[in-house]
Amino acid sequence: MKIRSKITISLVCAFAGLMIAIQLQSIQEPNERDTRDLWEIRSQLQLEQKQQQQLYQQISESESVLEQYMELSEQEQLDTLKETIEELEKESGLTEVTGSGVVITVTPLYTGMENIQEYPTVTPDLLNRLLNELNIYGATDISIGNERIINVTPIRFVNGKTYVNNHALPTVPMEVKVLSNNPNRLLDYIQVSQSRDDFAIENLELTPVVVDNITLPKYEGTIQMDEVEVNELEETGEN
Amino acid sequence: MWLPALFLVVGLTLGLLTNITIPDQYTNYLSIALLAAFDTLFGGIRAHLEGKFSDKVFITGFFFNVSLAALLAFLGLQLGIDLYLAAVFAFGVRLFQNIAIIRSKIIDEKIILKKIRNFKRK
Repeated sequence: MKIRSKITISLVCAFAGLMIAIQLQSIQEPNERDTRDLWEIRSQLQLEQKQQQQLYQQISESESVLEQYMELSEQEQLDTLKETIEELEKESGLTEVTGSGVVITVTPLYTGMENIQEYPTVTPDLLNRLLNELNIYGATDISIGNERIINVTPIRFVNGKTYVNNHALPTVPMEVKVLSNNPNRLLDYIQVSQSRDDFAIENLELTPVVVDNITLPKYEGTIQMDEVEVNELEETGEN
Repeated sequence: MWLPALFLVVGLTLGLLTNITIPDQYTNYLSIALLAAFDTLFGGIRAHLEGKFSDKVFITGFFFNVSLAALLAFLGLQLGIDLYLAAVFAFGVRLFQNIAIIRSKIIDEKIILKKIRNFKRK
């Protein structure tokens, strides 16, 4: 065979190979169709942007802390470390907190009901609802009775008693202390809240009072983080 | 015979590395064109075995077949007839014929070679 024809055949072969490769890739391309509409994509984009901002903020905060560490001497480094630990403990509810807020007193309600046989008790459902509402209205720290509410506080019903942080709640009357940046606003919210009605159904009354100087007890116990994992699963269109 | 194979591999890797894709609606044309290319390649091998290989016929056949197949597919799409099936049929049949002829030629050559060797031994 002549060298020229060999080269032509080779070039044609290369061309055919290129075509095969393109065809293979084009067929394999659409594994998952993107069926999101404009709105979903937009909300997704917003979410990502927000996350990006948060991440940037976190980075800058961490960097400033790091700079502090770098600049300071060993003793001061220790101080900074302790400060950080204190801050984190305060954030997670491991220290006492003092501030302005609302004290809600839960008392039995007797209005025209002569034949009440049972002394009213606070059920976990009621507490859950109340806590959710307080958090919506801008509560920063909450304690029920003598128990500080943290992120992982369990509220359970065991043997006819309500347990918070694995300690039984005292019978009513008891106090729910709520810290807030804007106590008056919180008071207004509580006075018209759904929880008041719900508690009234169970023959309980909520009496909120704004107090300038409340001290919340600290969380007694250890927070177990062994089983905690980051949940990265989030479907689009949820927001 | 190793040069074309090498170039085929080169073309394949080039295509896979550059990550070129074509839009979904054009994959039909490419698949048909690919079939035409295969047909021409095997036709070339057959012609070479038969001893009547010609550069010009091969090159023009390759490009003409490929573009004709794509054109046929396009025409079929415009008319609402699955004309590309005709191209698939024609090229498919020819592909099988060519491969069959190549196979028989190679076998023939081997048998002849064997016979010649046997003859020489005697």
